[in-house]
Amino acid sequence: MQQHEFDVIVVGGGGAGLRAAIAAAEEGATKGTAQGATLNIAMLSKVYPMRSHTVAAEGGAAAVTRADDTVEAHFADTVAGGDWLAEQGVVDYFVRHAHAELVQMERWGCPWSRQANGDVQVRRFGGMKTERTWFAADKTGFHMLHTLFQTSLKYPAIQRFDEYFVLDLLVNDDRQVQGVLALEISTGALHVLYAKAVIMATGGAGRVFRFNTNGGIVTGDGMAIAYRHGVPLRDMEFVQYHPTGLPGSGILITEASRGEGGVLVNKAGYRYLQDYGLGPETPLGKPENKHMELGPRDKLSQAFWHEQQAGRTGKHGDSDVVYLDLRHLGKAYLQERLPFICELAQSYVNVDPATQLIPIRPAVHYTMGGIATDRYCETAIQGLYAVGECASVGLHGANRLGSNSLTELLVFGRLAGEQAAKQALAGAASAAVDTAARTHIGERCYQRWQQKLSHLCDTQREMRSWVPIKRALVATMEAGCGIYRDEAGLQETLATIHQLQQDAQHIRIGDTSAAYNTDLLQCLELEFCLDVAETICLAALERRESRGAHQRLESAYQARNDAEYLQHSQVFFRANAPAELRWQAVDTHISAPAERLYGGQTAGEGAKDA
Amino acid sequence: MSYKPELTGSWWLKHRFFMLYMLREATVLPLVFLLCSLLAGIYSLASPEQFASWQAFMARPWVLALHGLALVAALYHAFTFFQLFPRVMPIRIGARLLPPALMVAVQWAAVLAVIVLFLWLFGNSQGAI
Amino acid sequence: MRNCSIAVQRYLPHEHAEPFWQHFTVPFDESTSILDALNYIKEELDPSLSFRWSCRMAICGSCGVMVNGIPKLGCKDFLRNYLPRNYLASESTAAVSAAEIRIQPLAHFTVERDLIVDMNEFLVHLEAVKPYLITDAGADETPLEKHAQTLAQTNKQTPAQLAKYKQFANCINCGLCYSACPQFGLNPEFVGPAAIALAQRYNLDSRDQGKAARMPVLNGHNGVWSCTFVGFCSDVCPKHVDPAAAVNQGKVESAKSMLIQMFTGRG
Repeated sequence: MQQHEFDVIVVGGGGAGLRAAIAAAEEGATKGTAQGATLNIAMLSKVYPMRSHTVAAEGGAAAVTRADDTVEAHFADTVAGGDWLAEQGVVDYFVRHAHAELVQMERWGCPWSRQANGDVQVRRFGGMKTERTWFAADKTGFHMLHTLFQTSLKYPAIQRFDEYFVLDLLVNDDRQVQGVLALEISTGALHVLYAKAVIMATGGAGRVFRFNTNGGIVTGDGMAIAYRHGVPLRDMEFVQYHPTGLPGSGILITEASRGEGGVLVNKAGYRYLQDYGLGPETPLGKPENKHMELGPRDKLSQAFWHEQQAGRTGKHGDSDVVYLDLRHLGKAYLQERLPFICELAQSYVNVDPATQLIPIRPAVHYTMGGIATDRYCETAIQGLYAVGECASVGLHGANRLGSNSLTELLVFGRLAGEQAAKQALAGAASAAVDTAARTHIGERCYQRWQQKLSHLCDTQREMRSWVPIKRALVATMEAGCGIYRDEAGLQETLATIHQLQQDAQHIRIGDTSAAYNTDLLQCLELEFCLDVAETICLAALERRESRGAHQRLESAYQARNDAEYLQHSQVFFRANAPAELRWQAVDTHISAPAERLYGGQTAGEGAKDA
Repeated sequence: MSYKPELTGSWWLKHRFFMLYMLREATVLPLVFLLCSLLAGIYSLASPEQFASWQAFMARPWVLALHGLALVAALYHAFTFFQLFPRVMPIRIGARLLPPALMVAVQWAAVLAVIVLFLWLFGNSQGAI
Repeated sequence: MRNCSIAVQRYLPHEHAEPFWQHFTVPFDESTSILDALNYIKEELDPSLSFRWSCRMAICGSCGVMVNGIPKLGCKDFLRNYLPRNYLASESTAAVSAAEIRIQPLAHFTVERDLIVDMNEFLVHLEAVKPYLITDAGADETPLEKHAQTLAQTNKQTPAQLAKYKQFANCINCGLCYSACPQFGLNPEFVGPAAIALAQRYNLDSRDQGKAARMPVLNGHNGVWSCTFVGFCSDVCPKHVDPAAAVNQGKVESAKSMLIQMFTGRG
């Protein structure tokens, strides 16, 4: 058993993890040095940091920038976009710190797109009242991730463990985090890493669905790990469909393509969004904030579903599709603003957006819910923090607005990093750690996993692949837990998931070697997926109303029901038993719930908002 | 436990791209011959006999062929160099990049100018004799 | 669905001393990528085949492999590219007539297992060029609060200044250029195309003042002068970064800085 000792451990090397690690390193360099203590920070990631899925974010990062914009307006858009299920204190903190974090990125070298005078350019984005989305062409996530990764190389306090797959947390009887257990992918060896604070930044869980825009690594690992230790997963029923994924693969076509003026048409060439409360039709090439194609993602995906039911969608291969029309923007503009989209359309559906329509369909994109944290990113386990898509700090409510999550990585990544560093420094100052007790926890965890892994690879047992279970899972989630849900479908999906959890007990993987056993990794990821899927399905079943990204088909549940459901769902793990759901009050102390209005309905709103 | 394939001496035979690269590098060989010939010519100016034998040498068909090859090699090298130049020394006017094709064309125009200059000087010096 | 023959070079470190070839038949259509084919093999034919992948959209840089001897991103290279035209459309039911597609790990790297190579060999070069913004103020080491005044504002950078380095900032660190570079194959200490492109990206950034700190690595024996401008790195780059241009622009910079050093005795 290899053991390591650190002050802070960051699990995950994406945008949130890198930002947190840098913040912890800076906190250590200032406050730590003042105390005569230095902070050693470990960053573990199952892939090299620049492979993390932050890299695929395209559109941009939101912050109030223009003189005619206000943080109150950003707050109002975010809270309304989240259908009043956001934690309003958290949103308030977020909108006030967003700009400073984007400026910090600029000072670290992020190549933001610029105006002629050298200032940063902002673009329109769905659900936002005004232009406030910073972007770096249509590869914003890519540029942010590489900027953060490269900047992190400056900090000697950060020690990277690339391609280490974290399997478990070490938690003592007082519910304090003690460290993590990780699998070194290149050798198959298990490592125990001790720390005073652990930050989970492991990303979302989009891979539990069949059609998704997510990379293969987005399997909800961190959510499941925290969940198995009793931390509730919150608001998991809210899964965002991105309205514009490529058919078949689900590859993401950014919302910015609509922000720049792209329009959606059905097979008859009709701009159908005007029929779903998002009209009146805006003239071609003159997109208007919060109208038509710039409505929020949930409304757009739901409109697709209705068009599909009515038989007005086209076909691409065996997928039902509608079309994104960018032709009127012209080749030169597309090359400047949306070069990546042109490349993707050409490669994956053989379409030139300058002359042809791009077939698109909704695909699962983002999990609004996650590991429940307080406003300081700390979970129910002392010293355990969570940040980014794996966390539910309460920013997105029932539906995330595009370009809020890239900023979230920064604002809360920094906060989590600072909080963890403070925790570690306080721990260093207080009484000595009970190393014997801690080592005991580490050893027990190590042995349990050693046993589990050898059981999975035990050649005495009959080989049974994880592949059919994974396929059944993603199919049942798509069928019962998709854009629209009902009781019967959810019950069936939940029963299927429980069955699949049983089936997973009998997996014996085909690859029994130690080095780079990707068969084993994918099997462990599937086990994490199964737990996360259960929480999504259970929360969707219990939320008998429609709100944001969660839409029920039953007529009694088609409207939002604040009387009963203006509450967060929290799903708790129960060993060897079905999960348990509890409700938690929502912080609405700033803005009382009102109706979400888009398109022409907002006309009378202007005066009120201003 | 791992392995690392060694690069063999024949690596450049494995792909057309590498062969063209080696061809570009090999253009130096006929050019070396040409330069040696010119040096020998300068030395042979010391006496009329030596110059006559140099002239006879230069008139041999295989020597002529090698010099023809040197011309082709020089033009090929110029071609590859001109193609690469806009990438090594990109010229920007404001935010716009000067089109690489234009830079290539300017370089060929310069070659043409050198040839014209040579023919003019050579013609004049012939007249002077 | 038609079938296609694929050969994959395997290597299992604890079971075989040498790499070996394994042959598979994979169904495919117009949109099947090399990565799709590898995933099909793993899920249906042989679970022990190991390779890296994630985003499927040519941005994460994980899935570089050699396809018929050329470095490619598995997700951005399609089986249709290797088969005769109209093969998919033709009525003929003849079995795989086309030649086999050969997939190998990225060249010039140490192979750890199957299609997985040691990417640290590339990352050490990347880290060596100090790929981050360096400013005179030394603010790069100080936290946010200290410079609250200046840090509250962004630097100015015009679109023209951005355009100077933007292309080199598009590198996804996939490592294909290292597999295309015979000089890196002959000398693994060569800093190499992607790392030099990144150095050049920061050297050309109007906000950066770190060129002097980066030049020693570029001037050194394993820096830009190890490059003989084969140019294949740029040919295989999936993001059109043109690292060969970066390296050779680096030579111009290196020559300038060496001349300056010669005359002033300073770097």
